[in-house]
Amino acid sequence: MRSEKELVISLLVEDNPGVLNRVSGLVRRRGFNISALSVAPSERPGFSRMSMTVDAGHAEVDQVAKQLDRLIEVVEVRDLTGPELIHRELLVGRVDDSGAATLTKAGAQVLRQNGHGIVFQYTGDDLAAERLIEELKGHGLRELSRSGPVAVRR
Amino acid sequence: MTGADMVLEALEREGVTHIFGYPGGANLPIYQRLPQHPKLQHILVRHEQGAAHMADGYARASGRPGVVFATSGPGALNLVTGLATAAMDSVPMVAITGQVGSKVVGRDAFQESDVIGCTSAVTKHNFLVTRVQDIPKTIRQAFHIATTGRPGPVLIDICKDAQMADGGEFEYPDEVMLPGYQGQAEPDLSRIEQAAAAINAAQHPVMLAGHGVILARAQEELLEAAELAGIPVGTTLLGIGAFPVNHPLSLHMTGFMGTGWCLKAVQNADVLVMVGMRVDDRVTAELSTFAPNVKSFIHIDIDASEMGKNVRPHLEIVADARQALQALIPRLQPPPESRASWITQIDRWREEHPLRYTRSNGHLQPQDVLMDMYGRCDDEAIVVADVGQNQIWAALWWNYARPGLFINSGGAGTMGFALPAAIGAKFARPEKPVWCVAGEGGFVMTMQELAVAVEHQLDVKIVLLNNFSLGMVRQFQDDFYGGVRSQVDLSVMPDFVKLCDAYGIPAVEVHKGPEIAAAFDQAQRTKGPFLIDFRIDPEANVYPIVPLGKGLSDFVEAPLEIEDLVLEPAYEI
Repeated sequence: MRSEKELVISLLVEDNPGVLNRVSGLVRRRGFNISALSVAPSERPGFSRMSMTVDAGHAEVDQVAKQLDRLIEVVEVRDLTGPELIHRELLVGRVDDSGAATLTKAGAQVLRQNGHGIVFQYTGDDLAAERLIEELKGHGLRELSRSGPVAVRR
Repeated sequence: MTGADMVLEALEREGVTHIFGYPGGANLPIYQRLPQHPKLQHILVRHEQGAAHMADGYARASGRPGVVFATSGPGALNLVTGLATAAMDSVPMVAITGQVGSKVVGRDAFQESDVIGCTSAVTKHNFLVTRVQDIPKTIRQAFHIATTGRPGPVLIDICKDAQMADGGEFEYPDEVMLPGYQGQAEPDLSRIEQAAAAINAAQHPVMLAGHGVILARAQEELLEAAELAGIPVGTTLLGIGAFPVNHPLSLHMTGFMGTGWCLKAVQNADVLVMVGMRVDDRVTAELSTFAPNVKSFIHIDIDASEMGKNVRPHLEIVADARQALQALIPRLQPPPESRASWITQIDRWREEHPLRYTRSNGHLQPQDVLMDMYGRCDDEAIVVADVGQNQIWAALWWNYARPGLFINSGGAGTMGFALPAAIGAKFARPEKPVWCVAGEGGFVMTMQELAVAVEHQLDVKIVLLNNFSLGMVRQFQDDFYGGVRSQVDLSVMPDFVKLCDAYGIPAVEVHKGPEIAAAFDQAQRTKGPFLIDFRIDPEANVYPIVPLGKGLSDFVEAPLEIEDLVLEPAYEI
């Protein structure tokens, strides 16, 4: 479960060199903490979309969005936290062959199976992703890569 | 046109007349072209920190952005303290630094440092320019960002090859394209209505005014609102001058070294209107006991992120202080009869808790120095204080009537600020007497800038409140750290009169109260810089003070012996 201090924030930022450094620097110096982050070009040329999960730390939760909004290159800050949120996370990883049934049950996709384990991908919300990771730990889960949640409003 | 000429041309278009700077390898192309731009007066400092504080003092005294030049590496890094000082106090500045050539950035070239990385946390924004064609647009954006909304310092780091390259015809944009930087919002009128209703219904209202009132030039609106609704007004340290100190409704300064009657008023207020301020720890002291009787906190500030950062207001009004007060005034009502007792109560607190100090111990008292000085300044002089006891004495023992007369590093608390900032203020307001008030500790941190005062024969008078120790730290150690005096002794100091002589600056020492007036007479008769080394009481303390970790109600006043008792309000009402 998310803590009350944890927010899912979507940022539209100017795609300038160093913009990620500005965002992460601000988060650090204001005492917040990023637990997940993804960055990719947005639908607008010259602008990127950042999805991040941020803990407000000792600050009031509304400070996260307000402080991020002060950055000149941040065009839009949306706090997506709440029941209206639709978020998905992509997992790519490798497990032993014994994990095949678990993967199938969870709806994961097998990308490669060559007798030395299975490379899989899975997309789901954060709770489902966490559940699958726990189950796969019994099947030699290794080389796990997580995208971090990306989100939109319902 | 070369990039270097574009920089200088753009500064002229922005109306810049003064640049405080220091040349070096990575900004030599700009300095090569500087003589071709005689409208730009360049002041050669003796250390880049001095340039930053001069630009800061220039901006605070004039309301126009201060401009700084420095070279790459150590030159730019020496600006960091000055940028942080300006950022904390919302002072508009534009710093232009040279960077190594764009092709060698990241290769640890000679005098290369990551200036963008190092200054991101101490500027409102910064830019790295690697292409000559980006120079005009970037300078336009930098001035726009520095001077609009909540002002602040902006740094532009320009690679040397971009300064040297030919960028073709110079075109300076009228429009600024910054999709992530909105103009500031109009005040929300429904919230203004709510604020007015709360104020009109209040029995014990108090207004506190911060630097934002001065930056918004809202002092007349503040006075009108206060007089119309009969609300007493205190200011923060940086808000000094936003409300005339000798006004019957003045509470003078608030905060953990504020006046007793202001703190009493704040702690008993039922509606507290905080305008153009951050409500920081120096204003609230212990947060859990700050203004415990307030039913309605109304916070007006231009920066939305200040809302609820420290104190959660009942009513948030994100707006320019002047626009908000203009909207508020027509909705305010004259005070109800029932509120007369509140003003009477405040008058009683003012009588019970005046500013006071001991002066019968034979030592020269800093308050005597400041009151003599105030008596001859006729509400016209600009006082630039350093940081420490000298700063609080200069804040409290003076009758500031208008904005812009008291300049100090309030947020960052940068020792060494006063002398260079006073020099900058004098360049901005040559017609005004400028007084630099500093302790000897802070003074020696940037005293190399005396050379600038001499070179330009600036009429800057330096009032050194010299106690041969770090007085504020010593007071804190005495009162809050078990009386252990650790590393506060500054008994080895230069002979300041001889030091000034070495610079060609006349100076005198003052040891006793009766010598004060003659020294000031001499200072005022002398053209150009002058220093008075006041040997003040080494045990003099700042009062009132709220002990660390305590609330505003716990303020401690000057401990006076009966035979010592001297009550000296700073002013008469």
